[in-house]
Amino acid sequence: MKVQVRHLDNIAVIDCTGDVDLYSSPRLREALLAEIKTDGPSVLVDMANVSYIDSSGIATLVEGLLLSRKTKTSFGLYGLRSNARSVLELARLHQVFVIFGTEAEALEGIGSVAPFEGV
Amino acid sequence: MIRIVIGSEPRLVCVLRTVARHCSQQAGFPQPEAEHIALAIGEAAANIIGHTYRGDLHALLALEVRRFPDRLEFVMQDWGPKVREDQIRPRSLDELRPGGLGTLFINSFMDACRYDPDCREGNRLKLVKFLSRKDACCNEGPGSASR
Repeated sequence: MKVQVRHLDNIAVIDCTGDVDLYSSPRLREALLAEIKTDGPSVLVDMANVSYIDSSGIATLVEGLLLSRKTKTSFGLYGLRSNARSVLELARLHQVFVIFGTEAEALEGIGSVAPFEGV
Repeated sequence: MIRIVIGSEPRLVCVLRTVARHCSQQAGFPQPEAEHIALAIGEAAANIIGHTYRGDLHALLALEVRRFPDRLEFVMQDWGPKVREDQIRPRSLDELRPGGLGTLFINSFMDACRYDPDCREGNRLKLVKFLSRKDACCNEGPGSASR
């Protein structure tokens, strides 16, 4: 899996490519924990090129979500493929994450996502 | 029957997933189901590495795949301490916390999941996925006999 971070104005976009699993999810975790901080940018995870995600990948996203609530950072996902969406739905996490369809929608919408207050 | 043995390294779990996906597709499962089966096998392997072997990278785990006309059976073997089946429970989805979803995915995507009580050394976890009648019909032919 490849993880790259782009900074666009006050938004950090974390691009993931490949499989997010037990082996690779620590790389995503490292990027998330580096970007999600108090008075930091809004954070978006680009999942359009994630071909596979398992429970450790989902756990990493949940950890990012919880940290975003603590630091009052706007946090969202976009570009989910059907397999990633199906595991999020199974775990009922699609109701918890802010999920956008496309990058354009995410960049436009993340600014209006109020950071959740309190964990 | 296919049997593959790997070291207990997270980077090798993708090998088991690939085998599971390939066998599932060949057995006639539609692509989304083949992906779900691969995910369940990956989760079972991750559980062995993380919980049974507690991150020991020098142990072994094996996957056997057996094909029958109506189902695929996957057997995950490890040589770690005995797993107490009564202690494995999916966690409540009402709590928002990282981790604990692997068992949910295994139970949701497979039709049966059972430890072999007669396994003398380590653990043998059998995971079964039945073909729907439609998929089984589409897959009938000389190559679909039980192996």
